[in-house]
Amino acid sequence: MRKEAFAAPVADEAATRTGRVSSRLTIARGGLLVVVGAFALLTPGFLSVPSLTTLLTTASFVGCLAMAMTFITISGNIMSFALGGTAAVAAVVFVHVLNAFGYAPAVIAALVAGALVTAAQGALVGALRANPIIVSIAANVLIYGVAEWLTNNETAHISEEALGLLIKGKLFGLPVEFCAFVLVTIIGQLVLTFTVFGRNLFYIGSGFRAAEAVGLPTVRTTIGAYCWAGLFSAVAGILLASRFNQANMEFALRYDYDAIAAVLVGGTAIQGGSGSMMRTFVGVAAISIIQVVLLLHGLREEWRLLIMGLVVLAVVILYSSRQRG
Amino acid sequence: MARHLIDPAYRPFVFFVAVILGLVLVDIGEGNILTSATAFSSLQYFSTFGLVALGLGLTMLIGEFDLSVGGLFGLGGCVAVLTGNENAWVGIACALATGLGFGLIQGLIITGFRLGSVAVTLGGLLTANGLAYVLTLNKTITFDDIDLALALNEPIATVFSIRSIVALAFFAIAIVIFSTMRVGRDLIATGSDRRAAMVSGVGVDKILIASFALSASISALGGALLSYGLASASPAGLADVLVPAIAAAILGGVSLAGGVGTPFGLAVGVLTLSVLRSGLNALGVPPFVNSIASGTILFAVAIIDAPYLARQLRSLGSRLRGA
Repeated sequence: MRKEAFAAPVADEAATRTGRVSSRLTIARGGLLVVVGAFALLTPGFLSVPSLTTLLTTASFVGCLAMAMTFITISGNIMSFALGGTAAVAAVVFVHVLNAFGYAPAVIAALVAGALVTAAQGALVGALRANPIIVSIAANVLIYGVAEWLTNNETAHISEEALGLLIKGKLFGLPVEFCAFVLVTIIGQLVLTFTVFGRNLFYIGSGFRAAEAVGLPTVRTTIGAYCWAGLFSAVAGILLASRFNQANMEFALRYDYDAIAAVLVGGTAIQGGSGSMMRTFVGVAAISIIQVVLLLHGLREEWRLLIMGLVVLAVVILYSSRQRG
Repeated sequence: MARHLIDPAYRPFVFFVAVILGLVLVDIGEGNILTSATAFSSLQYFSTFGLVALGLGLTMLIGEFDLSVGGLFGLGGCVAVLTGNENAWVGIACALATGLGFGLIQGLIITGFRLGSVAVTLGGLLTANGLAYVLTLNKTITFDDIDLALALNEPIATVFSIRSIVALAFFAIAIVIFSTMRVGRDLIATGSDRRAAMVSGVGVDKILIASFALSASISALGGALLSYGLASASPAGLADVLVPAIAAAILGGVSLAGGVGTPFGLAVGVLTLSVLRSGLNALGVPPFVNSIASGTILFAVAIIDAPYLARQLRSLGSRLRGA
């Protein structure tokens, strides 16, 4: 795909780097949260503990995938269609290893499985410059094909004795899934802000050839971005398996679209080179709050999907005209 | 040979021959592959995702990417079944109008705001999908005209059906227009170098808007025809045509960079995937073999197309020689 398929013309990109415009962007994002938040607070029942707990828990699954997606988007590789599949693989691996060997080996095995699945794609994308969208679609088709071959699409259940090993319930009054999500966000942001890898990732995302010309480790960095994406997807898989005491390949089926929607709503540019975990966190928060508010207003699940689509369209248009302003 | 495999102009035929040879070799002595039944079911698959692939391929040709085709395929089917129970033509017209409206709006947003098509059509995909859920209230809706459903899939001349004839006709029209009229060259020019195309007087914005309108319309039409043929539609059941459509387009030699590809190559790409799928069915292998085969072929094309492949092979070769 040509660069124009994703990006506004170069001049606009330069404009976003000036402080004036970026502070306006921050105001736009802040405004989004305030509006959504106010709408939420005016909804009766929103502040009740059960509804908040549900909100935080469900947001965490997609949230971890959105953090994973953010690495790929910043690296200039748009999005992956295989992160939901990766999460499902990690969930199935987690359940099987948990039943056989216990909790810590299960977590490690799931994380390794997730990272391996995506690192292989990262190698193709980084070393050969293969098209990331095609690679992720091919990977997703292969993941589901191989999984069906190996598991017959059966659901893996966590055995009775292993159930006691799971970490469930609340930590500091918050659902444990949400704590994991916050931890993932913080780790992701620290990696982006304070490591050489994180800095290189932004350079590669804003201009691969330039990054290559100055001798940055483009291959290693791209594989790294995909590895982190795999690790965070695996966290989503572990959370899902722990929540439902089972795992199957259907688990995260449509999560890829929700995740990229959260990344875009948060304001990370789809052409790469800019963005942050905090932005994606805002995106996840905004989307989840909208979902819960719609449900509380008695709108059915179907309307949620439609309004999500319109929100993504609106945000894509809104941010672009802000950037040029 | 190797260079022809890499050259996108030859690729559709290389893969087509390879797939048929592979299937026939596996099938030697069984006689499952080279039958009219396999040909008929190949063409049925062709009609299922051929129109979507044609629309998507058209937007890829001009260097853009229409992610929304899968959503419009599902929405088109739901709209057609909801409005077409009295008169099937009304349903088809409504599905086409829905697609046309969606495509025009997406094209106008992309050209008006100078936005990337991936981001915009991602929003379009989610919106179309959501609209399908809202219209059907998340239920499977049925089409009452069973006679029409049967007639659409009735074999004609052993291997064709009305559905596959419609899909083939669209490809035939596209091939003729593309090779004889100016718009074919304008599409290629828009896809290869947009600035140069604009300077030489190509109405780039018009081409863009028309491509997205056409892509969305024929995707919706494809969904409508499939839903009529199945005598039912559901918002979830029709969503998974994007993957075979992309696979068919890149197998058909349409480059993701834009500017390379023809409707004829695209047709051969769709046919290759259709033959692979119906051939594997005829061999009686479990469904996952089809996924693994499709995934492997997609990986192969992604690697063959990768711009740094030659460089990496060279450096690998010199490293091996040095060692």
